[in-house]
Amino acid sequence: MKRGSSIWFFTGAPTLFFGFSVEIEYIFGYYIVIKHSLTKEVIEMDILEKLQILGAAAKYDVSCASSGSKRETNYGIGSTFTAGICHSWTDDGRCISLLKILFTNECIFDCAYCINRKSNDIKRATFTPHEVAELTMNFYKRNYIEGLFLSSAIKNSPDWTMEMLYKTVYLLRHNYQFNGYIHVKAIPYASLDLIRKTGFLADRMSVNIELPSEKSLKLLCPNKTKESILKPMEFITRVGEEERNFVSAGQSTQMIIGATDDSDYKIISLSQHLYRKFKLKRVYYSAYTPVNNDPRILKVEKPPLLREHRLYQADWLIRVYNFTADELFEKDENLDLEVDPKVMWALRNLNKFPIEINKASYEELIRVPGIGIKSARRIIKNRVFHSLDFDDLKKIGVVLKRAKFFIMCNGKTYERHLIDLQPEKIKLQLTEKAAAQQRVQQLSFFDKEVFTSVITGEI
Amino acid sequence: MYNVFSYDGTFDGLLTCIDEILSTHINEDEVVIVEKDKYQPMFFDSPVYVALDKNRSQELRQKVINASDKITFKKVYYCFLSEAQNKETYIYKYIKLILKHGKKVKYLYHDDVVNFVEKASKNVSREIGKYMGLMRFNEIKGGVLYAQFEPTNDILVPISYFFKERLKSFKWIIHDKKRSKLSIYDTRMIKFLNGMNLNASFSDDENLYQKLWKLYFKTMAIEERKNLKLQRQNMPKKYWKYLIEKN
Repeated sequence: MKRGSSIWFFTGAPTLFFGFSVEIEYIFGYYIVIKHSLTKEVIEMDILEKLQILGAAAKYDVSCASSGSKRETNYGIGSTFTAGICHSWTDDGRCISLLKILFTNECIFDCAYCINRKSNDIKRATFTPHEVAELTMNFYKRNYIEGLFLSSAIKNSPDWTMEMLYKTVYLLRHNYQFNGYIHVKAIPYASLDLIRKTGFLADRMSVNIELPSEKSLKLLCPNKTKESILKPMEFITRVGEEERNFVSAGQSTQMIIGATDDSDYKIISLSQHLYRKFKLKRVYYSAYTPVNNDPRILKVEKPPLLREHRLYQADWLIRVYNFTADELFEKDENLDLEVDPKVMWALRNLNKFPIEINKASYEELIRVPGIGIKSARRIIKNRVFHSLDFDDLKKIGVVLKRAKFFIMCNGKTYERHLIDLQPEKIKLQLTEKAAAQQRVQQLSFFDKEVFTSVITGEI
Repeated sequence: MYNVFSYDGTFDGLLTCIDEILSTHINEDEVVIVEKDKYQPMFFDSPVYVALDKNRSQELRQKVINASDKITFKKVYYCFLSEAQNKETYIYKYIKLILKHGKKVKYLYHDDVVNFVEKASKNVSREIGKYMGLMRFNEIKGGVLYAQFEPTNDILVPISYFFKERLKSFKWIIHDKKRSKLSIYDTRMIKFLNGMNLNASFSDDENLYQKLWKLYFKTMAIEERKNLKLQRQNMPKKYWKYLIEKN
């Protein structure tokens, strides 16, 4: 407008003011150039800072799965891979599969354990849907990531936040024709209609249950209620059962471990309930990293990583191995940190052992420590041809170190004296061996069994 | 006394060669197959060169798939892509086993040939799996995506078809630096070129996104859980050379 008016002004005597007009134009052009380069720099700084703040804020979310979804189209960009793909591993050894960020870390809630709570004095930032979409697309095409994991603190209102998440995902799916993996958080208290609309665009949704009991929730999250978490969770399960293409990779959730005095029994019982009633695909456990100094939170020096690992193992037992929480625990207690939960269960039920490998059913086999799903299947397939002995079991992949206390092949135990061992003695042998093993492992670089169990919690 | 056969180094060439041998009834323990260019003459043998014949290789391929299934044939192909010693001879013996036992061949745990092929093909598919995630594309001038890598096995072809599915609307180039091979995709089809090298400069946006990725990578690590050993177990050092976040 400025430029137009100056030209109109000078039309009366163009020759006289020619030089001046050019100068103005020159100055104006220069201004554009400066403005342009400035904005570019500002934008660049801005996006770097936002990514740092909102990435750091999301890093405590454990879930990074990109598996279980098959999206096949002839158009657009990207694909999902049923088995999931890891794209990098951070310095703490966790896999990076998705661009895991918060949409905003400005929060109206004040949960004691959360770094983004209202009362914390930290740097705040908010993305725009466009920025998130650009980041995702540019990371994706360079093969840095498998897709997007979009979570958020609650800014303005739950509905406003959910709307922003929906807009972002909509932009990606429709304007950018993005077919990669998208995991979105459902925001507590957000309208179910918004959650429904988002679910049709996402591969996975999750509502974090955060704390395993209502008591702890009341104590640490005065703004959240059990209702506000379970309602959207139940809604997603219900719509998922009714509709196709709604959250096709299923629903997951996450719990914080060690910030409250809830026992492992409570945690695993809750997980069992979530798997059976809400048909969740996964429950994730996150050893609490102390970020706030709040008197309501239990004092934690270091995140309880071993406890987290044992919980994942117990989780596998109830999800895949058909154990129930009541079988794993005798009373309201924590898991044994020295031995894995399956060994713990077997030692308490020594009267059920030893079992005969060549006769036992599949259900019995998978309950033996040292025999997993794969080896149990192989045993069943192979014993049709000939009866198996301990050498065969080794080849099949059974971990005899643990299994030998609990099995027989053709009526014989591995070593003769094993049969009348006491539970305490077995435990001692197992833990002593484990300790010795660990000393060796520090030298040897790659132990496959430990390696897989670290990632999956498989026993 | 060995009967030495040579082929041109391609998979179809090898299949033709094997088809030829199968039709001659030579004792299988005396067969040795070598790649023509890698062959070093020995005293008594005179290698027979079998030239590529697409029809014959196609025929054998179909025969093997009919006798077993596609998964078993894929193992043969993956074994061919590996760098294992004497893989050609083992593939010949494996194909003979397939024609005899069908897809049940995988249950012959005790057989050396089966073990060899299983191991080699597993090694290849594991590396393909790793590179699905660890391949890094850079945007170069003109908006083309360019990735370099140095795989242990010759996996350029299968990995290219994976990225054809994934990045179907982008133009891209994947460059196997170790073998000087390229695959070029122009949004419609892939072309494979040998003996080529490329120099390219980054596009304007490239530096920003590399900076963003490095920052993101650093940000995501939780200091209290630091575990560099686990990181190296999952992502061995041989992959680091072209990883932006590790340089």
